[in-house]
Amino acid sequence: MKKHPSFPQLLSFLFVGYLLFGSFNDCFAQRDTITNYYETEQIKLPKGLRAETGGMDFMPDGRLVACFHLGEVMTYNPKTKTWKKFAEGLHDPLGVVAVSNSEILVVQRPEMTRIKDTNADGVADVYETITDDFGMSGNYHEFAFGPLKDKEGNLFMALNVASNGAGIRPEIRGQYDSLSREGRMYSCVPYRGWVMKYNVKTKKLEPYASGFRSPNGLGFDAKGRLFVSDNQGDWRGTSPLYHVEKGRFYGHVASLIWQEGFPRVKPLSLPVAQLDSMRTRESIAFPHTEIAHSPTQPLLDNTGGKFGPFAGQLFIGEMDYPRLVRLLMEEVNGQLQGACVAFGDGTGLLKGNNRLVFDKNGDLWVGHNDHGWVGDEGLSRIHWKGKVPLDIIAMNLTTEGFELTFSLPVDPKIASNPELYKFQRYYYKYHQPYGSPKTDVADVAIKEVKVAPDGRKVTFKLAELKAGYVYDLKMGELQTPDGKLLMNRAVFYTLNQLKK
Amino acid sequence: MRLFLIVFGLFIATKSFSQSDTTITLQAITGLQYDLVRIAVKPLQKVTIILKNEDDMAHNLVFTKPDKRLSVVEAAIKMGDKGQAVNYVPESDDVLAASKILIPNTTQTFTFTAPSNEGAYPYVCTYPGHGYVMYGALYVTTKPLPPLATDPNIPPSRQNTEIMVSSPHPFTLEYPLLYRTFMPDCGPAAIAVALTSTHSYCFDAGKCYLRYAWAGGFVDNTAHWKGNGNAFAKIQGNIYFKDNVTYPLRVGKADKLPDVSFKGYTLANRLPTFNYALDGVDVKETLKTLANEEGLTRVFTFAKPTTQTLYFVTKSDDGITYKSSVGKWQHGTLAIPKGTSKVTLTMKRNKTQTPHAAAHSH
Repeated sequence: MKKHPSFPQLLSFLFVGYLLFGSFNDCFAQRDTITNYYETEQIKLPKGLRAETGGMDFMPDGRLVACFHLGEVMTYNPKTKTWKKFAEGLHDPLGVVAVSNSEILVVQRPEMTRIKDTNADGVADVYETITDDFGMSGNYHEFAFGPLKDKEGNLFMALNVASNGAGIRPEIRGQYDSLSREGRMYSCVPYRGWVMKYNVKTKKLEPYASGFRSPNGLGFDAKGRLFVSDNQGDWRGTSPLYHVEKGRFYGHVASLIWQEGFPRVKPLSLPVAQLDSMRTRESIAFPHTEIAHSPTQPLLDNTGGKFGPFAGQLFIGEMDYPRLVRLLMEEVNGQLQGACVAFGDGTGLLKGNNRLVFDKNGDLWVGHNDHGWVGDEGLSRIHWKGKVPLDIIAMNLTTEGFELTFSLPVDPKIASNPELYKFQRYYYKYHQPYGSPKTDVADVAIKEVKVAPDGRKVTFKLAELKAGYVYDLKMGELQTPDGKLLMNRAVFYTLNQLKK
Repeated sequence: MRLFLIVFGLFIATKSFSQSDTTITLQAITGLQYDLVRIAVKPLQKVTIILKNEDDMAHNLVFTKPDKRLSVVEAAIKMGDKGQAVNYVPESDDVLAASKILIPNTTQTFTFTAPSNEGAYPYVCTYPGHGYVMYGALYVTTKPLPPLATDPNIPPSRQNTEIMVSSPHPFTLEYPLLYRTFMPDCGPAAIAVALTSTHSYCFDAGKCYLRYAWAGGFVDNTAHWKGNGNAFAKIQGNIYFKDNVTYPLRVGKADKLPDVSFKGYTLANRLPTFNYALDGVDVKETLKTLANEEGLTRVFTFAKPTTQTLYFVTKSDDGITYKSSVGKWQHGTLAIPKGTSKVTLTMKRNKTQTPHAAAHSH
């Protein structure tokens, strides 16, 4: 038989609880953690599948369609939990878009392909080349990402540069050019290091934007603006996310040689200051090891609130940590910039979060991958349990500092304490070497903290605001008046533009 | 002699072996079976067997005299507990050669001389209980082998599969089978196709033509699929044809290389038909195996009857005898007249290649 505590025992327990937590609520409740709000489930895989997930989408009938490193395209019916083969034999497919219940689009190493089941036996019998109008040197690092379909039906894809970890093959596809053959990552055949747009009207693959290194992730925001992620490396001080617009250059220099009208010079021979002035900066820099190592696919939360309080925001996958990252973007002087905050820490998510897709119920499916690097294999599903956690909903730049918006009111007594916040700023160098240390690191003094009367907003006046820096805010344990704890206490704002 | 080569596509001559020796890799695989169900050698040939146990059970390999498989298997069972010490190999004149009992993931190499008398010599696992289903046939012969489908010397379950390859996918391997992968001696947009488990070709999806064909197996992608995909797929078997004319099919002029563009492929009962355009002519090409894997047929169909002469250029030293359903040959070049909608080209391997047993390796 279980022993009940005596009344004096209970009293002393409550007293100790009061001393420890400062509130009687807390000594009864479990400590508030993310598992109160989100749960992660691993999907059971079919026998024999090496689940290095390259792409995922949902067909109109609710089946998941996913492609894998060994060339398989499989469907999974979440109702019956059955896997079926849809297609096979592809070359490292790294993205899939479902067109109908019997048709998909895939980007694989050599091409963008339309794959159809035309005889209704459930297995594809037509593999139509949509476009293969780009070069291949045969270097293993020339991965191809996409497709991403816009409203008009145009298809975006992104082409990796080659790695000097390996050479090129005796036979290549496309026109060889040696101008960008030097460097850690190189581009010696057309449009390596470019984001490309397949124009559905002209049926041509058009070069869209240059300056990419390993752009393993394309997505649109709620307004249809294109975002592409990239990885820390040469010309990448830390991993970035770019708002990609036609004709712009995004910093990795090897691809410049394919720019129409670009002079016949080795991009590596140009002064860094000149290259710096040519490039468009990232909307969001992900401080290396602080938040991410290798960001993957950005995905809009278009669930209308079925996945929690983050509707309209972008999530992005992360390879090396068991987490996703949530993006808090805003427009300042006509340019997109903003903050990133962790998501999913502690939900039991694996590493290798390569591909993301929402189902109709608002669950987030995550396809894992390791691909010879850090990561995991398999598929997971993250489900929102219906209660709103305390988290950061927005971080907006003001003329004097920042304004944080929370998903729930914070306790003003706690939140108004300036000791609870620490701002730091630093930047990452734009240069040829691999990555960059945090540079010009400095603490930023807080002149004033104000909590809005409704407890939803906290505003900071800072001693100094400088463009070209990441503002790194670490917070203490904020909570709601009823004891819900702040889920993520670090947030990183990329300040390219000061508010005018 | 020629049929011998055809039926045993896997055992083509390789230069690395002398005329009289042969090395054969044989694997014990899951499902109480060997990966190969038939091996062909010549009388008195020196045979080296590399036996690999890839299964999760213990197995051996015993060669017996013709028709003595069951009596040897039963003698091994009768040995009872004492059998283990002698690898379940009964002392008998009916046993020609035998391996030890191999535990999983081990390998043994042993050599013996093939008998002088032609015949089908069974090989079998005599580990108790295995020998009724786990066997194959060593053909000592210089003559053609019986068709696989009606060969009484192999397990009935294997009368459709010469080589059993375990699937790296969440489904069983079916033939024809296709992989887009990195292939040697091809552009980076390569397609490897196995028409059967022992007859394969490489199609260049960048340059839009058949690059080479081989017999003896398909490709091993293990290294290519490991990590970042830098390695080439490994060809299993021996290449019997290589196209050395840069681009065989030409439009209007026999000496002008066409501009090509790849359009994809369709599958009919898994058999691919490639679609491509050359100098604006839309072509569909289907490659099939000739009977007994004697070579290939290539069926070209054109979207519209051709409006110019097409040329198919070959080199005389490529080991192939060509035949065409349409057109005229002159100095190894076929002229396909205007107005053609379909051409069937037969590429038959020449008899002059001396067949003799060689390795099949994984």
